[in-house]
Amino acid sequence: MPHFDLAAVLTDEFRGWLISGFLLSLELTLIVWLLALPLATFTALCRLSSLAPARWVGFALVEGIRNIPLLVHLLFWYFAVPELLPESIRAWLYEHNAEFICAAGGLTLYTAAFMAEDIRSGIRAVPITQLEAARALGFGFLASMRRIVLPQAVRIIVPPLISQSLNLWKNTSVATVIGTAELMYQAQRVETASFRGVETFTLTTLAYLSVSLIITALAVWFQRRYPVRTA
Amino acid sequence: MKAIAPVTLAAVLTGLLSMHAAVADQLADIRKKGELVCGVLGTDEPMSFIDARTRTLIGYEVDLCEAVAKKIGVSAKPRQLAVAARIPELQQGRVDILAATLTHTKEREAVVDFSLNTFVTGQRVMVRKDSGITKVAQLAGKKVVTVKGGTQEPNMRKAVPTVEVVTFETAPQAFVALQQRKAIGFVNDEVSLLDAFGKLGPAQKDYVVLTESISVEAIALGLRKNEPALKTLVNDALRELETSGQAEQLFFKWFGPSSRLKYQTRNFKIDSDRI
Repeated sequence: MPHFDLAAVLTDEFRGWLISGFLLSLELTLIVWLLALPLATFTALCRLSSLAPARWVGFALVEGIRNIPLLVHLLFWYFAVPELLPESIRAWLYEHNAEFICAAGGLTLYTAAFMAEDIRSGIRAVPITQLEAARALGFGFLASMRRIVLPQAVRIIVPPLISQSLNLWKNTSVATVIGTAELMYQAQRVETASFRGVETFTLTTLAYLSVSLIITALAVWFQRRYPVRTA
Repeated sequence: MKAIAPVTLAAVLTGLLSMHAAVADQLADIRKKGELVCGVLGTDEPMSFIDARTRTLIGYEVDLCEAVAKKIGVSAKPRQLAVAARIPELQQGRVDILAATLTHTKEREAVVDFSLNTFVTGQRVMVRKDSGITKVAQLAGKKVVTVKGGTQEPNMRKAVPTVEVVTFETAPQAFVALQQRKAIGFVNDEVSLLDAFGKLGPAQKDYVVLTESISVEAIALGLRKNEPALKTLVNDALRELETSGQAEQLFFKWFGPSSRLKYQTRNFKIDSDRI
């Protein structure tokens, strides 16, 4: 076996590939996060709604998405969903970066399903007596939610949401299977071109780990700074 | 250790030289035993494989071996080898020549000699007919798909530096992406590509396999190094096959329209050992 030599995979060309993959992974994480959060909130509210049809929709979204492996989601979003679209939209999609858009679509749904459950649990974790007490003190419903329930819920929701963001960051690596040129894709390219699997994946591991640790540190900091207040 | 190395080297060299002396004229040895032992793979249809009915080794390379044997005036004896064992078996003298789908590479030239190229294959591109593309160079700035991990992507980029390549875990996935119009070209090894094209059935009319290859892989017979007499004779036999038209016949027998691979044209001649 050749000696471990990081320089062999850090030539200008390979480094360029790896950096572009790293940046695309970050971009994918950020875009998906921004899309998934409102969708997750909407789904959580559906599940908490007093309207039965809304609850069914929320239930179907969460269970339908969460119980299918991410790999299957992405292959479905790339190979099947575009074929169901009208010709004009499909043509537009294929003109643009279909690999990225389909990956973002699949990851958004997948991430939102998990986030929705965290948001729902967080809201439910605030004892109902808090709301009742607020109402007894003369707050209206909205004011009770805004001033009493939600501030407590956010402290409970944010740590698991950060944890879901960490999962999202790692899950972007699966997008390599549909040709999205993120970090894992570029790493495989470098490995093929350099025959340096150990070095390539050492670097890739460090890249994933560094961002993951930053997200973890953020979660720890938040929990220290804004601990859950027991009622 | 440093002091010992030259001595060891000298001993090895002496050994090699004496071995070489013992088989100085391999051609004479072959004539004496009356048979030419050809190392073939036997698992690589249609280059060399076992005929299900007769249980004998047949194929393109088996026929080439027979032609060479005929030229020498002996009988041909194909012997099956594992891929990794090909070159060692040749060097150790268990087979006389290799007809084992052996790609002629610069690295291998250090250990074996090569005959003229007996089969030239490569990687090619299938495009959708409505793309209007007829030449590889027209793929500049266009999107093509292929499989991860092989030489397809680097070779495609070498052929057309500005092409956009998207890779998938398997070749069939890339092929589906082409069929779904996610790209305008699909790059793969020629034999696999023609196989995929064959499976399209009536949809073949919508696709074209560009005749140009983006990379060339030359397959040749392998010979022990420093056997000029045998090498000359082998190359003569191959040249005669080409000039008499038999080489062309052999090609179409194993690769032509009536075969599984359905090559419509033969894009090489047995006349060179360039790679």
